[in-house]
Amino acid sequence: MHEIVFLTAVLVLAISFPLWLLLSLVTVLGRLRYDRRQRLGAKTPSARHVRRLLKRALEKPRTEIGEWRRIAALNRLARMEHPATAHVLYHALWGDDDKAAAAAVRCLGGLGSPWAIELLVAAMRGGRVPRSRIASQLERLYPEPAFLLLPLLRDPDPAVRFWGATLLGPYENLGEGDLVELARDEDANVRAAAVEALGNRKSEEAAEATVALLDDAAWFVRVHAARAAGHAAGPDAAPAIARLLGDERWWVRTAAKDALEGLGKDAAEALVPILTSRDRFARNRAAEVLQDIGLVDFLALAHPGSSLLARIYAAGGPRFREAAEARAARARETMEEQAA
Amino acid sequence: MTELLTIVVATCLGYLVLLTLIYVVFALVSAFENSVRRRESAVEDYRTLSSSRFTIPVSVIVPAFNEQTSLVPAIQSMLDLDYPEHEVIVVNDGSTDATLDVLQEAFELERFETFARTVFPSGRVRGIYRSAAHPTLLVIDKENGGKADAMNAGFNIARYRFICGMDADMVMERDALLKGMRLVVQDPGRVVGVASQLGLALDPGRAMAVSRGRRRVERRPLVAYQHLDFLRAFLTNRLAWSRLGFMLCASGGFHIWRRDLVEQIGGFALGFTCEDIELTFRAHEYLQRQGQEYAVLSLPDNIGTTEAPDTVRKLVSQRERWQRVIGETVWHYRRMWFNPRYRIVGLIGLPFYLLTEVLAPAVELLALASLPLALALGVFDVTSFLVMVGAVAYLMASLSALAILLDDLHSRTYRRRDLAWLLLLAPFDIVLYRPIIFWARFKGTWRFLRGNKSWDRFERNVRSQPA
Repeated sequence: MHEIVFLTAVLVLAISFPLWLLLSLVTVLGRLRYDRRQRLGAKTPSARHVRRLLKRALEKPRTEIGEWRRIAALNRLARMEHPATAHVLYHALWGDDDKAAAAAVRCLGGLGSPWAIELLVAAMRGGRVPRSRIASQLERLYPEPAFLLLPLLRDPDPAVRFWGATLLGPYENLGEGDLVELARDEDANVRAAAVEALGNRKSEEAAEATVALLDDAAWFVRVHAARAAGHAAGPDAAPAIARLLGDERWWVRTAAKDALEGLGKDAAEALVPILTSRDRFARNRAAEVLQDIGLVDFLALAHPGSSLLARIYAAGGPRFREAAEARAARARETMEEQAA
Repeated sequence: MTELLTIVVATCLGYLVLLTLIYVVFALVSAFENSVRRRESAVEDYRTLSSSRFTIPVSVIVPAFNEQTSLVPAIQSMLDLDYPEHEVIVVNDGSTDATLDVLQEAFELERFETFARTVFPSGRVRGIYRSAAHPTLLVIDKENGGKADAMNAGFNIARYRFICGMDADMVMERDALLKGMRLVVQDPGRVVGVASQLGLALDPGRAMAVSRGRRRVERRPLVAYQHLDFLRAFLTNRLAWSRLGFMLCASGGFHIWRRDLVEQIGGFALGFTCEDIELTFRAHEYLQRQGQEYAVLSLPDNIGTTEAPDTVRKLVSQRERWQRVIGETVWHYRRMWFNPRYRIVGLIGLPFYLLTEVLAPAVELLALASLPLALALGVFDVTSFLVMVGAVAYLMASLSALAILLDDLHSRTYRRRDLAWLLLLAPFDIVLYRPIIFWARFKGTWRFLRGNKSWDRFERNVRSQPA
């Protein structure tokens, strides 16, 4: 046993000591090299290096590390705006390597040229790369893609229609008719995206479409509709949105609360009837909106004995009242200090 | 007697060899994983990710109990995170010091009522505060109920699809959430949980005030060794677990979870000393039972700095708690041990924990008790013993050096001279640091066996006042 243990230990020591030394040197010297490179800045790649990058970008890798080397080469070529960039990115986008395709999408977004946008829109249709990633790049290029997005709204694939509608959100003057149409789409996700995009528009048609979807069967459509109706239809939609404070889904109630808060004091009138709702959460949330839009603080300071404030306190509960009174007391103190 | 001693020594040596082999294999897998993640991160489009409305919003939950000294820089760093949409929910878990007052003053808090549904029961909420200066900050003041209870209270009020638990002494890098969510955004259906590497300092706020690349490693050996320990754990172990599909420890310092999963598995459990490891085990158990394809990942990115205990007493208190919770969790999930139903988690992950964490104190104690006797009776000669100690020391030092190299390749966080300091300290770990950890683990195991579940958080370090 002595001998086995001794020989094994000697062997391990003979390997581990030089290994520790080697790793230590690699660490320190590697860092030294890195720091120097950082100081000197990036070198212009030689023609040989560019040839190697091109070869790497086009060849099919055999290992996972190889895949990442290829992606690094794609990135480098795109950053250099090498004349072959379009070719290598096209090759990567439609090849059979998903990671390279995703990298190509990132590079195309970085380039932002008209052909790059066209390729991105085509990739959105293709669906090989996660569409959310393509959407991020197309959104980053706002407002360049504009008209190229419109055909996506009429695509037979609901996922493409969904992303088309989502991306059209910030383009206030584009595709409204199509979006109103999509608000009646059979796919709930498409309806949700359409109503969200309509939320950025101010026309009567957009307002009508968003209010109509407040009663949609899919809860997540109601979530988007509540937020959108607040923007598109304004105070007129407040009573319909306030109704959603009592929705069966928590997220719909939350969206309704956010939308009402966004309307500010214009939402107050619609909230008063909800204060006596049989649904405790609806009562609570109505009181919370009135608190957040500043009405509670105003009443607590200016009309502490008002019946409306009493109704709000009753709807909000004792902790709500306690918080409001504490704020009012503090505000009074501040006012007195200022007056003094 | 001699025969028995020979068997005992042989068992201990066999255990040591097995453990070493496992660690070497994990280190190699980790090096590969690190290489992949590094290349991935190098081509990631962080600028788009940080401004896109398609980046998934996150609710950051920070439980705080008596954190008056460390909380403000931590929360400030969380509010300053470079991320398109996130909220920070601080849960004051019935602190008995001035935690709430400090928060009120630093962030201009005012009491407002916010109504939330009760997804999980939690201790009574005394009040909810909003910040006039930071609209994304919310503070819940509740009665004390422990960290899991505070996490549940924060969860109830959280608005977003992903939640991120952070410790109240963590000071985050500005890109921490971007780095953490990078892979989630790519595949939110599959990536359900993410953890990442943390740094250590006596005063994280001060340490993080220095830019990446110029940051210091604490020179005090006690802290430097803890730093090495963290590097080894994250970069030569957890990366391998992540690669192999059994990442069983998303630590409380920084852990991201998909909200619906946490909801399905019943939230943070109150019956354990700590909530983080248990939640990770439960998530794996649930998803394996469902036969779902999923990933819980550990990333090599250094996303922030947490506070290191500055005395041996504090360190022992912290590590004995960690050992206790490992014991509790591994024992609780004993049905998963070697169970093929749980695939790699049951067949490799749990047995690994059992072998390297739960049984280690017992074997170490056995070795400590038998070695002097074996040396005295000539079962084991002194020269062999010394060569063996040297071999183990340099083998472990090699793993430490690999961890330092992997961290530097990925994050380039610390100064060159500090890397050299860590590399020089590494071979002496076995004599200067391991005995403390052995004692803490032994104490933790003992207290676990006695059913002790107290929190025993280490007392926060005294900070010098800023000039």
